[in-house]
Amino acid sequence: MTVDAALEIRQITKAFDLGAGRSVTAVKDINFAVERNSICVLLGPSGCGKSTILRMMAGLETPTSGEIVIGGRTVDGPGRDRGMVFQAYTSFDWLSVRRNVEFGMKINGVAPAERHERAEHFINLVGLGKFADAYPSQLSGGMRQRVAIARTLANDPEVLLMDEPFGALDAETRWLMQELMIDVAEKTNTTMVIVTHDLEEAIFLADKIVFLSSHPGRVKEEIVPAFKNGKRIGDKERAVKLDGYAELESKLMHLMREEGRGIE
Amino acid sequence: MPASSSKTPFFQLRKPVSRRQSLISALGIWVVFFGVWVFASSTGMVNELLVPAPQQVFATTFELFFGRGFASDVLISISRVIGAFAMAAAVAVPLGVLMGSFPAIEAIFSPFVSAWRYLPAPSFIPILLMWFGTGEAPKLALLFIGVIFFLITLIMDHTKNVREELVETALTLGAGRGTVVARVIFPAVLPDITVALRQMLAMAWTYLVIAEIVASTTGIGAMMMRARRFLNTDEILSGIIVIGVLGLGFDLLFAALHRWAFPYLRKAR
Ligand SMILES: Nc1ncnc2c1ncn2[C@@H]1O[C@H](COP(=O)(O)OP(=O)(O)OP(=O)(O)O)[C@@H](O)[C@H]1O
Ligand SMILES: [Mg+2]
Repeated sequence: MTVDAALEIRQITKAFDLGAGRSVTAVKDINFAVERNSICVLLGPSGCGKSTILRMMAGLETPTSGEIVIGGRTVDGPGRDRGMVFQAYTSFDWLSVRRNVEFGMKINGVAPAERHERAEHFINLVGLGKFADAYPSQLSGGMRQRVAIARTLANDPEVLLMDEPFGALDAETRWLMQELMIDVAEKTNTTMVIVTHDLEEAIFLADKIVFLSSHPGRVKEEIVPAFKNGKRIGDKERAVKLDGYAELESKLMHLMREEGRGIE
Repeated sequence: MPASSSKTPFFQLRKPVSRRQSLISALGIWVVFFGVWVFASSTGMVNELLVPAPQQVFATTFELFFGRGFASDVLISISRVIGAFAMAAAVAVPLGVLMGSFPAIEAIFSPFVSAWRYLPAPSFIPILLMWFGTGEAPKLALLFIGVIFFLITLIMDHTKNVREELVETALTLGAGRGTVVARVIFPAVLPDITVALRQMLAMAWTYLVIAEIVASTTGIGAMMMRARRFLNTDEILSGIIVIGVLGLGFDLLFAALHRWAFPYLRKAR
C-alpha cells in the first residue's frame, strides 16, 4: 500500500440487518486509499453506499468485515481525527458562531488563548469574520454550512469527511462553497473525502474520484482528472473551459447512466 | 374599527392580526362575558345567592385580602405548588434527559413510569393521608405524584427528538458520551424542557386545589370549602378568580423566562 495514504479502506463489506432474518448488503469488497493532503470524491448513483462508506470512515457505523486504517490505526468508533460535515445543518443553535467554532477545541482541552486565536483564523478563512458573534439562526444556509466547516477544521482533524455538504444550497452558493473548499484545501493541507452525486462538483473538487456502482456498492473505477495536470484550479469558470473537462464529464455521465440502468 | 379595511375581508386565512386588533378582540370577549354576568345578576335572572354580581365578587376579593388575611392562604398555596413542582422537576429533568439519551436507561424506567401515568393521582389521597397525616407532606406528595410521571415522559420524548446529526457531529469532534449529553443534548432540548415545565405547572395548580379542598385547613382551596359551609358564593368565586390569575401569572412568567433564556430562537428565519 502507498506510504503516504492518510486513510485506507481495506476489503470493506457492510450489511445492514433489516430484522426478521433479512439483511441488505450496502457495500461489498471496497478497497481504496485516500492520499495525504488530497481531495478524494466519492461519486455514484443514489443508494450505492457513499454515505455508508463515509460513516464507516467516521466510525459512526461499523463494517461487517474489513477494516479502515487511519495513520496506522484501525478505526474503532468516532474520534476527533476524523471530522465530519453533514448535509443537514448541524450548528449548535445556542452558541454564537465563535463558540460553535471553538466547541471542538474546548471539549478537547485546548487552552483559551490558542482556542480564540484558531477560531478567529478559521472564521476568517471561511469568510464569516463579520458574523463571529451572530447566532446560527441569523445566518443563511450557506453561512451555516461554513460554520460547520470552520468548526471541524479548527478542531484540527487528520481527515475532513463531508457528506453532500452543499446539497441543500442553491446553485450559486454551492459554486462559491466549492471554490472555498479548494481555497481551504490549499491553505490548510487538509485531507478531504467528499461525497456527492453532482458530476460538476466531483470534477471540480477531486484530486481523485472513486466511482461506485450500486447494489451492492463496489468500486467501479478510480479516476484522476488528468486535465488538471496534478494542480487544483481555484476558479470554477476557468475549470469548465479547460481541455479535457467536457470529456471527463461525459465519461462520468456515461458511467452514471450505466449504473442507473442497472437498477431498473 | 378603521375604515381602511374596506377591501380585505375581516377573516383572513392564517394572516396574523395586528397588535391593536388582538388587544381589542381579547378585551371584547371579556367585556361581553362580564356584561352578561352583570345583566343576569342585576335583573334577577339568576338567584343572587348562587351567582353574586361581579362587583360584589371583586369587593369580597378586596375584603378577603385586606380584612381577613387571605394573602397568607395564597402564599401557602403558592409555596406548595412551587415546592412540590421544584422537587418533581429536580427528578424529572435529569431522569428524562438520561432516558432520552440512553436507551438502556429508558429500558429500565420507561415501563415503570408509563404504568404510573395511568394511575390518577387523586386516587392516592386516602393512602397519602394515612401515611403522612394532615401536615404539608400529603399535599406535596399528591402534587409530586400528579406531575412527575408526565414530566418525565414529556422530557424524554423531547430529548429523543434532538437531531441525530447534532450528536454525531459532537462525536466526530471528539466528544465522549458525558460531554455529548451535557454540552449538546441538554442545551438542545432545554427550550423544549422549559415549555414542558410550563405546561405541567398548570396541572400542578389543578392538583393543588384538589388537595386543599379534600384535606386542608389552609390555602386557597380550604378557604373555598369554608365559604361553602356559610353559603358565601362570592368568596368561592373570589378563590376561583385568584387561582386563575395566579395560573396566568406563572404562565406569563415562564413565557418571559423562555424569551429571556433563549434569545437565539427569536430571529429564526
Ligand atoms: N441504517 C440503515 N439500515 C438499513 N439499510 C441502510 C441503512 N443505511 C443505508 N442503508 C442501505 O444501504 C444502501 C446504501 O445507502 P447509502 O445511504 O450509503 O447510499 P448513498 O450512496 O449515500 O445514497 P444517496 O446518494 O441517496 O445519499 C441503501 O440501499 C440503503 O437502503
Ligand atoms: Mg447519502
